[in-house]
This record gives sequence, structure tokens and C-alpha cells, in this order.
Amino acid sequence: MMRALVALTRREVLRLARNPQAIITSLMLPVLYLVLFGQAFDLERIGGGLLPQSAFLLAYRGAPSYFSYFAAGMTGFVAVTATLFIGANVIFDRLFGVLKRTAASPASATAIFGSRLIAGTIQPIGLAFLVLGFSVLLGHLGLAGLDVTASLSVLGLVEILLAIVILSAMFASLFLAIGFSIETPQTYFAVVNAINLPVLLTSAALFAWGLMPPWFQTIASFNPITIAVTVVRENLFAGARAYYPYGPEVYLLGLLVWALAMFVIATLLARRALAPKR
Amino acid sequence: MTLAIQAEALSKTYKGQVKAVENVSFAVEAGEAYGFLGPNGAGKTTTVAMLTAGLVPTAGHAVVDGVDVIREPSTLKKRIGIVFQESTADSDLTGRENLSLAAALFNVPRRDAAGRIDSLLERMQIGEAADRLAKTYSGGMRRRLELAVGIIHSPKVLFLDEPTLGLDPQGRAGFWRYVEQLRKDHGMTVFITTHYLEEADNICDRIAIIDRGHIVATGSPSELKDRLGGDVVTVRPTRPEPTLEATLRAIPGVSSVGSAEGAYRVKAANGEKLVPALVDACTRAGVGLATVSLKRPSLDEVFLEFTGREYREDDAVSATDRAVRIGQVQQAFGRARR
Repeated sequence: MMRALVALTRREVLRLARNPQAIITSLMLPVLYLVLFGQAFDLERIGGGLLPQSAFLLAYRGAPSYFSYFAAGMTGFVAVTATLFIGANVIFDRLFGVLKRTAASPASATAIFGSRLIAGTIQPIGLAFLVLGFSVLLGHLGLAGLDVTASLSVLGLVEILLAIVILSAMFASLFLAIGFSIETPQTYFAVVNAINLPVLLTSAALFAWGLMPPWFQTIASFNPITIAVTVVRENLFAGARAYYPYGPEVYLLGLLVWALAMFVIATLLARRALAPKR
Repeated sequence: MTLAIQAEALSKTYKGQVKAVENVSFAVEAGEAYGFLGPNGAGKTTTVAMLTAGLVPTAGHAVVDGVDVIREPSTLKKRIGIVFQESTADSDLTGRENLSLAAALFNVPRRDAAGRIDSLLERMQIGEAADRLAKTYSGGMRRRLELAVGIIHSPKVLFLDEPTLGLDPQGRAGFWRYVEQLRKDHGMTVFITTHYLEEADNICDRIAIIDRGHIVATGSPSELKDRLGGDVVTVRPTRPEPTLEATLRAIPGVSSVGSAEGAYRVKAANGEKLVPALVDACTRAGVGLATVSLKRPSLDEVFLEFTGREYREDDAVSATDRAVRIGQVQQAFGRARR
């Protein structure tokens, strides 16, 4: 199974590398959000600087500015938008016969699904770190930028990496599950859009925690994007852990539960899709 | 006799109660080229899908190379090769990468894979384009690449599901040359579905004619053609003529007369000699003829004989067709008589 898994993953990576347009397109959206949305919501200017910094620290759960809070949240955002295409690729591979050819080979459904899951997880990792780097750069260009106030440890970086990997794997599983269950690209994108926006908008990726009403906070706290970006924020901002009930390890565990649940569902659906038709 | 494929009472009913294949039984000997011939929607692809573990039969069972297709689909997939009617090569990979991927999926020993890939690329005459993306290949090159992918693991049984669909005659001829060579070199059993009658005639040792999900005739191409009993002259009167059948039967040399879809099929050992006598007899009987056509024994005629319907694939018109417009015949005949 390992040989098939490696060969199929290589195929996915090669295809990705040969389509730089796809990578550039994936970068465009977060860049626009950072340059436009992030700058426009510079909430610290409210009240002409009369509101105390502590009020903002509370609202942003330890992040020094809205942009810093938002930039950390964008790592969750790219995990959703970049994994979306891995499910679409299943649909196109089915339409162009590639999936039929692969399913007719002795390669197991686990290898076929697993290779796409791995490929789907790789891209957001790079994008997430690019987003963080670009956000820091914006601050040096005289714009609102990401201000990393904590001293980052290796463990902290590993935790950030794990949060992005697990969240990407979860969303890659979700979109693969949809891709394996749906026949046409139109239906796929309709379903994905119906899921995407509500999931993003009920998370704490974009909205300041302190501005959410309590009921919204309750919903957001269970959202996997919130859980993942919490791990990122706890590690990027000094004193941020005081604003959260748990440490990053607990959030990583919660995220893992989400990812495993989605992985099991997606694997079952992929197996069904790749099995002989009845 | 070793059987490579044995199908017993295979049936497939899709949702909505569409019976695609019903009670189909046949056996293919090892090393044989066996053709499944029929028009679109006859059940050819459904049968291939059931034999290659792509589709679970509603009833019946099949064994391919000693493997039960329903119980052991994973084992089966290791032993067979398939060339689908649609292109399944990955356009974003080169020809070599497509083969390399297939070699890994079929677990071709690593030490053999590179050599086998090079050999196949050369043999299929895509060696020079091996490192080009498959999306730049012509239709014929893609088909040859599909064939190379289908045999990368040296399967004992190769399924070719309308493999030349969409190819020009030159591309089709070239494709079949490779298949013939494979059979000679490896003694591979080849199961072919096609709606090109000439292909079936030239390639297959035996043929099953499938129509509306049923096998209506089997035999070697020559056996099937022999069953026709000679040439067939098809006569279509300008209007229904009840006495025409008796008139035709009375012509010397006619062995039988049948009717279908408003036309009469007259069989005779020598059709060319029969035509003048036939036109003459009809003229004397006062029967107006719309068309008269002469056909040598061909699979077109075999198909018509066993299904009662014309073979309607545009691309499948036999080169032996000798359709003659009655106007021309009667004109020529009239001139000759004068």
C-alpha cells in the first residue's frame, strides 16, 4: 500500500507544482483580506485613542492589535480556502477518467484517499506561514502589521505547525468526503460554498472575540477554526494564554478529535465511492 | 482447454429497472481474442465493467483467470489489464510519469519497472514524446499510451472497451497492430468490445453479437458469415407489394427470402448474377423498386440476420457495401434491353 500511496501523492504534488496559477490564486484571497479587510478594521482608532489598551487586549484575547489578532486568524482561513480544491480535483479526476483508471488498479481506497489527503494538507502549511510572514512585512511598510509579542519557542512553532496541519487535514477530509460523494463540479461548489461561509463566519478567525455576544462565543468556541487559531494566538502573543481557559495542548487534542471524526467519515465515503458499483 | 473468462447468466439491472444485460453466458479460451459486438447501449461496457470488478452483477457470476470477480475483486485487479473507451491518462503527467504511476499501482517490481516503461514507450512509438505532458499528445498517441498503461504489469487477460473510438482509420489500424503483436508475444487473452464491424472481423477469433442486453449469436467471424448462406440482395419496393415475396422466391438461384422493415432480403450464392434477373422479374411483375442493394457476407449482414435490425453506426458501414440506386439499375437495365 505504501508504494501506491507514495506514487499517488507524488502525482498530486506534481500536478500542483505544474499549476502555479492555482497557488497564486490561493494566495490572492488572503493577501487581499490582509491588505484591505485587516487594515480597514483597525479598531484601536475608535475613540481617538482614548480607550485603554487593556480593553483591546481583552477584546483580542491578548493580541496587541486587531490586525495581529486577524493575521493569526488568517492561518485558519487559508486552511479552508486552500483545501477546497482538493475535493474539486476528485470531481475533475472522475470526469476525466483518471479516478476510474486508479480505481481499476489494485491500489487500495486508503492509498487513493490518503494521497489526496496528504497533498491537500501540504499546500495550506506553506500558505499559512506565507500569510504570517506577509503580515509581519506589512507592519514594516507603515501599515498595520502582525506584531509577534511572545518569544517564540521551538515547541511553540511545532504547536502552530500542528494546528495548521490538523486543521488542514480536517478540512481536506471534509472536502474529499464531498468530492467523493458528488458527481458534478457545479453541485460540489454549491455545497462547499454553503458550508464554507457559515463555518468561517461562526469562528473567531475574523471576528474579535470581545465583540461577539455570549451565544456567538459559545458557538465559536466549538468551531475547529477557532480551536486551531487559538493555538496560533496563544503562541504568538505574550500573555495570551491568560485569556483562554486551556493551554494549546488541550486545543490541539480537541482539534484532533474533529479531524479524526472527519477522517473516518471521509474514508468511509471514499471507500464507498471507489468500491464496485451496485 | 483452459478458460480465461467464464461468465454464467450475468445480468445487470440498473436503478429504475433498466435491464442493461440479461442472462449473458459465454466462455473465452486462454489466448483467444474474443469480441463483443453490438451498437451503443447494447450492454458491452456493462459486461466489461462486471468482468473487471467495476460493477456488481445483479445476478449470475463470472470467473476471470481463475478469480471470482464478485468475491475477489482485489485479486482480480492485479491479474487483468483494461483499456477504457474514454481517455483515462493523466493529462498533467508526462507519458513516462503515467506509466511510472501505473507500474507503482500494479506493483511491478522496481528493478523491472524502468526497463519495461522504456520498452513500452518505444514499442508504442511514443518514446520521443515520453517526457512531454500527455495533454500534448494526439488522439492516437493517447490511445497507445492507454494501451501501454493497460499492459504495464503484463496481465494475462486484457480488456479493451471500444479502444479505438474516435480514432481515424490509420490510428485504428496501428492500434490493432500493437494488440496483435502483444497476443503473439505474450499469448495474452484479449476481450474486445467494439461497434466497428470490420475490427471485430479482422481481430477476433470468436465473436458474440450482443443486442439489447442479450447475446444473439456467437461464433468465429467466418462461421457467422457462413450462416448467412451467401450474398444478400436487399430489395425495397416503392410501395407494399403482397406478391413480391413469391415473385422473388421463384427466381432461379434464390436460396431464401426474408422481410424486415419494409424490405426483402434475398439470399443467393452469387448476388451479382442475381441482380439483373431480380430487377427483370420485378419489372415484369409491375413492381416498382425504390432501391436494390447487394451485400457480400459481412458482419453487418450477420448483425441484421440475428437482430432483425440494420447496424446503424455511421462509422461501421462495411466497405463491401454495394448499394445501387434502382433508378440507375433500371436505367442501365433498360438501355441494355434496348
